[in-house]
Amino acid sequence: MKADKTVVLASNLCKTYEIGDAKVEVLKGVNLNVEKGEFTVVSGPSGSGKTTLLNIIGGIDKPTSGKIVVFGDDLGVKDEDFLASFRCNKVGFVFQSYNLVSTLSVAENIAFPMEWARKPEDYIKKRVEELLKVVGLQHRAEHFPFQLSGGEQQRVAFARALANDPPFLLVDEPTGNLDTKTSLKIVQMLQKLKGDRKTVIVATHDERIIQLADQKLYLEDGKLVSLNE
Amino acid sequence: MSESSFSMNDLLRRKLQTSLIVISLTLCVASTLFLLLFSEKIGFGIFFMAEGKLTTGFSIIFSRFIIFTGLLIFIVGAAIMSFMVFVMMSQKVRDIGLMKAVGCPNDLVFGYFITELLVVTVTGCFLGVVLGILADFASTSLFSSFGFQISQKPINFWFVLLVFGLFFALALIFGAKPILDTTKVSPAKALSPSYHLGVSKESSFRVTSKSGLTMKLALRSLFRRKSATIRIIICLVAVFLLATVGIAGGIIADQTTKSWIEKAVGRDIVLVAHKDMCNQYKLLLSKFHESNAIPRIIYTDAKYSISEEILNRLSSMSTNISEIDQRLVLEMHVKELVGYIIEEYEVVGDSREGDSLVIGVEPEKVLSDCFVEGEFLKEDQPWEAVIGDSLAQGMFTEPLNQSIGLSGEDFAGFSIVGVCLDPINNGNVTYVPLENLQDITGVSKPNVVLVRINPQVNRAAVLGYIQAEVKSLNSEFEVLDLNTVLDKNLSFLGYIWSAIMFLPLISLFSASLCLIAYVMLTITEQRQEFGVLRALGANPKTIVQIVSGQSLVVLLLSCATGIAFGIMVTLLILVPEPIVTSFTVAEISAWLLTALAATFILSLYPAIRFAKKPILEVIN
Repeated sequence: MKADKTVVLASNLCKTYEIGDAKVEVLKGVNLNVEKGEFTVVSGPSGSGKTTLLNIIGGIDKPTSGKIVVFGDDLGVKDEDFLASFRCNKVGFVFQSYNLVSTLSVAENIAFPMEWARKPEDYIKKRVEELLKVVGLQHRAEHFPFQLSGGEQQRVAFARALANDPPFLLVDEPTGNLDTKTSLKIVQMLQKLKGDRKTVIVATHDERIIQLADQKLYLEDGKLVSLNE
Repeated sequence: MSESSFSMNDLLRRKLQTSLIVISLTLCVASTLFLLLFSEKIGFGIFFMAEGKLTTGFSIIFSRFIIFTGLLIFIVGAAIMSFMVFVMMSQKVRDIGLMKAVGCPNDLVFGYFITELLVVTVTGCFLGVVLGILADFASTSLFSSFGFQISQKPINFWFVLLVFGLFFALALIFGAKPILDTTKVSPAKALSPSYHLGVSKESSFRVTSKSGLTMKLALRSLFRRKSATIRIIICLVAVFLLATVGIAGGIIADQTTKSWIEKAVGRDIVLVAHKDMCNQYKLLLSKFHESNAIPRIIYTDAKYSISEEILNRLSSMSTNISEIDQRLVLEMHVKELVGYIIEEYEVVGDSREGDSLVIGVEPEKVLSDCFVEGEFLKEDQPWEAVIGDSLAQGMFTEPLNQSIGLSGEDFAGFSIVGVCLDPINNGNVTYVPLENLQDITGVSKPNVVLVRINPQVNRAAVLGYIQAEVKSLNSEFEVLDLNTVLDKNLSFLGYIWSAIMFLPLISLFSASLCLIAYVMLTITEQRQEFGVLRALGANPKTIVQIVSGQSLVVLLLSCATGIAFGIMVTLLILVPEPIVTSFTVAEISAWLLTALAATFILSLYPAIRFAKKPILEVIN
């Protein structure tokens, strides 16, 4: 029964980058278990491997060794087509640097994950309007990303991540580049997600977000420790 | 930091971008130089091959093709090179903005980037020249080893200097423009994506299908880089213009010129004459493709005369022979007679003199139908003449306004009414009415008879029959099948055209390489964007589809324009009165579609390679 509830199961996860002759060990045997509806926060100093961990969980990167199972699938052994479908339908990713597509308008940026998921046209239109309302950017629908402020771009990134209503969200440093007032809006959005019982993993230093966590984790020197105990 | 050390560091740290630009520049310079050097050699090869052969009219058509193709090759190379440099420097706009924003003075910023441009341009041009010379040397050796006639003359260093100098100057002009433009705008503007990406229009949101989204992304990126897109289209238009002139023009010109020869000699025509005259006529026709010395014979010798008996016997074979064309072939001294252009009150002509083959024909019975500028002889006009193109070019100023004098009757004047393309005696020929020629020369009988065999009958059997009949009347007389000489003339023409068409094919290959470089550059520019798309669920195939969509739009636009211009140039300028059949159209279409498909497939290579890269390598 417990296996059905498990969204992420990482065991002995290691990641090493090779830069020239040098080898940088970013993750050293990370173990992690995230259950359905759980709000997990991973904190830690810059360069500790938070983004790498999120990338591996999100199927963007593969571990050097160890096992990463998400929704029962071992992502380490899956091919690129499976991972593309996984990223499109199962997980919403909010990047630290927003990563909006510069040639698409705000509405199109939110719409295209749904278009890839082959959702009906009427549904997409309604969903885009709905999400724009949720993030408070109805008036910016036709603008391009470079015409938006950092906070607005981050909200578009959230809307895009939620477009296919994924059961699981990965959020990387959502307030890292924002001022206090703007970041408050992001915190409120995360609160709403927690209220909606979405499974969320957030990498952050922001105390206000850490306070929301069901599971608080700290990553340092490539090792993950729980702060709950 | 000094200007040179900044530039060198910047170039060395962007290894991929720098090497792409240097490789592209090298390829452009090398391919252009190689094509110029090699076409000069092939060109000389053709003239060398054609020395004493071909008629002047044909040589002019070939020369036009070589000159036009050489010119286009140069333009294509220059266009591609200027495009590459422009793209490279446009990518630096944001960096220039950043440097200005942190307080770097304008002249220093300009100095940094112009030094970078100089380093890249000199390296690319130098490597290109070396590679071009090596390619020329290798190709010349290779072709010579295959037995092609390629001139072994030393490298024309004026070409080397010209290509290096012009490409270097163009690279500086096109590369310096975006730098200069950016140094003039405010740092904020230079940093703004609306300036360096060019995205400024608001868009109305419309949901599209998955495939529609792919195309939308492809088109957006193309329109976003409007300036670069227009430039690559211009480059490819020039490439396809060149390819069309080479392929379509080559095919049309090949078929047209072959048709001229075929009509001038005549298909399924048989010559009946004295054996020496048969040999002489064959040599005169073969002069078009081989420069053997032609022995002098006395055409007026009575032994060559066609007797009434032979003519009557041939006429009696009406079931086997459909037409008979009796001719008097002579070699005469001819003179250019002055003419008058009445509208311009001008007298033309220098009273030049020379020898020409003069053929007396019955205008209404002539079996050949050569290409004539002006008109052919008429039965009721005894004092008119049609001259060959070589004679017209070599001896007359305004042939259609002049007359030709034939010796024998104090240079009796024949008004020239047409100039024909005829391979016999390499176009040094004059056609006049038979009766009049007989009157002037006092030679009462023809010395050759051309007959057309009925297409329905067994050709070999009829040839044997005619041969036997003629021999029974005069054992010195023979029958010569002109198809053998005609076929040799046609294959000679085909060989020359295939040599000319080889040039644009090489150019097309170098253009494909440049298109690959363009695709690599656009991918480099869009790599972060593609990374995001993949991170959000696009699979590698989608990325390949986006890039291929961009390539296809660019290729189709430029292909349509280039081919349209190429066909116009060929039909209106290069080949007079072209012959275009439905087969010609099908052949040209097949060639051009193959060229398009090959270029498109080659341009996909960098996209496929890129799509296989890990997302993080792309996104960061």
